[in-house]
Amino acid sequence: MVALTWLLWLMPLLPLLGFLLNLFVIRQERAAGLLASAMVVASFVVALVAAVGLAGLPEEGRRIMSVGWAWISAGTFQVPFGLMFDPLTAVMALLVTGVGALIHIYSIGYMRGDPRVVRYFAYLNLFITMMLFLVMGNNLLVVFLGWEGVGLCSFLLIGFWFERKVAADAAVKAFVVNRIGDAAFILAMLAVFANFGTLNFYPVELGGVTQPGFLERVPEILGLTFGPSWQPILVVTGITFLLLIGAAGKSAQFPLFVWLPDAMAGPTPVSALIHAATMVTAGVYMMARTEALFVASQATQGWVMWVGALTALLAGTAALAQWDIKRVLAYSTISQLGFMVAACGMGAYGAAIFHLLTHGLFKALLFLAAGSVIHGTNDTQDMRRMGGLRKAMPTTFLTYMVGALALAGVVPLAGFWSKDEILAHALAFGNWPQLILLFLTSLLTAFYMGRQVALVFYGEQRDPHYHAHESGRVMTVPLIVLAVGTIFGGLLNLPAFFPGQPLAHWLTDWLRPVLAEEPGSFNFWLAALATLGAVGMGYLGWRIYTRSAARVKVGAKDPAYRFTGDIWDGMEEAWYVDAAYSRFVVQPIRGLASFLARVFDPQGIDGLVMGVARLVGVAGAGVRTLQSGYVRTYALIFTLGALLVLGFMLVFTR
Amino acid sequence: MVPTSYYILLSAALFILGVLGVLLRRNAIVVFMSVELMLNAANLALVAFARQRLSVDGQVLVFFVITVAAAEVAVGLALLVAIFRTKQTADVDEVSTLRG
Amino acid sequence: MDFILFGVTAAIALIGAVAMLLSRNAVHSALFLLMNFGAIAVLFLLLQSPFLFTIQLTVYAGAIMVLFLFVVMLLGAEQVEATPDRIAWQRPLSLLLGLGLLGVAVVAALRGEMAAAPPGGEAALNFGDPAQLGALLFTKYLLPFEITGVILLIAVVGVVVLNQRGRQKA
Repeated sequence: MVALTWLLWLMPLLPLLGFLLNLFVIRQERAAGLLASAMVVASFVVALVAAVGLAGLPEEGRRIMSVGWAWISAGTFQVPFGLMFDPLTAVMALLVTGVGALIHIYSIGYMRGDPRVVRYFAYLNLFITMMLFLVMGNNLLVVFLGWEGVGLCSFLLIGFWFERKVAADAAVKAFVVNRIGDAAFILAMLAVFANFGTLNFYPVELGGVTQPGFLERVPEILGLTFGPSWQPILVVTGITFLLLIGAAGKSAQFPLFVWLPDAMAGPTPVSALIHAATMVTAGVYMMARTEALFVASQATQGWVMWVGALTALLAGTAALAQWDIKRVLAYSTISQLGFMVAACGMGAYGAAIFHLLTHGLFKALLFLAAGSVIHGTNDTQDMRRMGGLRKAMPTTFLTYMVGALALAGVVPLAGFWSKDEILAHALAFGNWPQLILLFLTSLLTAFYMGRQVALVFYGEQRDPHYHAHESGRVMTVPLIVLAVGTIFGGLLNLPAFFPGQPLAHWLTDWLRPVLAEEPGSFNFWLAALATLGAVGMGYLGWRIYTRSAARVKVGAKDPAYRFTGDIWDGMEEAWYVDAAYSRFVVQPIRGLASFLARVFDPQGIDGLVMGVARLVGVAGAGVRTLQSGYVRTYALIFTLGALLVLGFMLVFTR
Repeated sequence: MVPTSYYILLSAALFILGVLGVLLRRNAIVVFMSVELMLNAANLALVAFARQRLSVDGQVLVFFVITVAAAEVAVGLALLVAIFRTKQTADVDEVSTLRG
Repeated sequence: MDFILFGVTAAIALIGAVAMLLSRNAVHSALFLLMNFGAIAVLFLLLQSPFLFTIQLTVYAGAIMVLFLFVVMLLGAEQVEATPDRIAWQRPLSLLLGLGLLGVAVVAALRGEMAAAPPGGEAALNFGDPAQLGALLFTKYLLPFEITGVILLIAVVGVVVLNQRGRQKA
């Protein structure tokens, strides 16, 4: 047991060491990449060992708690700095370190030759550290530390090529939009502390004193309400609603998703790691961890479902109309996150985590493969300039196909099993609106992936200005590893086709101590319908864009514009949400800032200060006129003074 | 016997006339004379009070006042003459270079 | 009887003062002031101080006013105020202040013990005896007396110094 607690701390500290070394000591590109990757690989191994160790414990006792020190100790506000390891954490940690390790190795190839690559690896390692703190934190504040830390790393890495204004702006946008979610998170923390007296998830022992945890105490506050007497709101609803806003900020749900497409201005491995596999899933993890609170509030669960489902559909439509290869994947990520959030809303937390895992695998795969395409086409990102790349880049093509099929939800790849479980849950719980929205989204997903594959890999190369070539091994090997993971990932949580099946809902069982969920049932007809729909739509998308490949040109409208008209533009702009922000939020604030800087500060504040000086001058000039030089004037003033004194004496003394 | 207040009123009137002289006349010598008038008014008041209180001290004080006034007049007029030599005028308003 | 004497003398004093104030010619002002000093000397006498009466006439009327006249005639400064006053509001303000002071004085004078007549009686008979004054001068007020002498000396020295034309030119 003691050894296991050591492992807990080793996991985040190894990448932290990598960060510090890369920041202060290392100067060479080669050493930086190798060190950073080695640290994360080591971290993965440690996570694996810890997970195995955890499995060795009996099911009820699968929670290792390790408290480092009393971080905040202020009277009744006690917050320890501690890590914990339970089945949910294990799953998340393995995902983060595993995919992270592969992406580090990939980055060695992708970022070759970049002048600031050492700093890149430092930031990447710091990110892994912070993400591990997030998933392993044993109280809300450590989770928040990780939450903010990954937000910081996201900012640093999106704006890594800060000479490009696009990247710098995108980094700031990501940070600011995230901040809205963070503010809600802080309020939620305050509410939790106010109602439970502690931020710990589970009971913690520090210095002989046992601090309580709030997750087991949720039933105690079920009756509490707040708000005006004519509209009382349950406290749990308030807390969970704030947490939902926090998750929406981090996991790019409506209306806080606008930062994610712009974040594609960062290096592609960063997009793969942060904005596909790990950071954006933090919101889902957080909702799963605080499941006890969410389950207690029906009102919020409704909101969660709707937000998830609507975001999924909205982002799905937007992904259809994008020209940039990474932006398609970005909107796709938002859409899939919507799936996960909707699943949480429906109470299917196990399915949400399962989809989180599989999505982490195949989305990272897709991004890395896209990076390979970008690398191999001399930094082209516009799909209208690509085409016919399957001949020049076979490995990339094959792995991309695996990823695309998985995302579309074609059996037997991982994406099918996880997505289907969510749909099955929707059907089983009778959430018809969500079912329809998510089903439509799946169809759209298949369509836009078909479109993308057609535009990139089929047909003829439309832009002759580059010579397409396959990427080196250091980039293709991670792709292959991820593809294998995608193919076999479904085995993690197969539904029970027949009783007594050995490999049935393994993940749900593993997560049961934390999520207290029973596995769902398998609906054959729904699965079949979904798969057929996916295959059909995928083929349709592929067909339309291979047929009209000749009409795909930079500057021209999309061939599908013929059928849809101006709606296409709306989809491309993600229904103008971003434009709305720009008009109603950003412009007024800019106007206010401009007013303050150009008018209020120089005229108001400076005017005030200068005015005081001028006032003194004027007063001085005024007083100076008394010194006329004429003795008789002075004598007059003497006399006046004398008169006043005498008068005073006369009036006030006896 | 004449009440003391009459003397005091007279003294006050003379004093005020002296003040007005200082304020209104521009000839430096006349200003000086007004100052002397003020001193005399004060002397009168002192003597009146001395008589009322039957205290000779008041008269001794008047003696001193007269002596010092004499000394002051001498010095003051010497100053005036010295200024007159430079400015060629005894107008008080001419001596106004110490202005702000 | 006293009242008549007082009244006449007071009138002369006031007229002298006012005339001094009003005359354009400095010599006339000096002469009127002389008249005023004479009246005041008589008033001293009325207040039972013969010594001061003498001193007033000797020093003030006899020495100080003569000095004034000398200086006026030396400087030829009779007609200084031919030009109108430069300070516009000097006259009205001064008159106003004068009235104010008069008001204060009247109020002060009519309050309290001063309104009564000075006491008569035994002590009053021998009041103002020069011998008394002299005794006081040489006992209680000896120091001020000596200092006054010094003051006069200083005055003499000062006058001499001030009237030396600049001897040492650089």
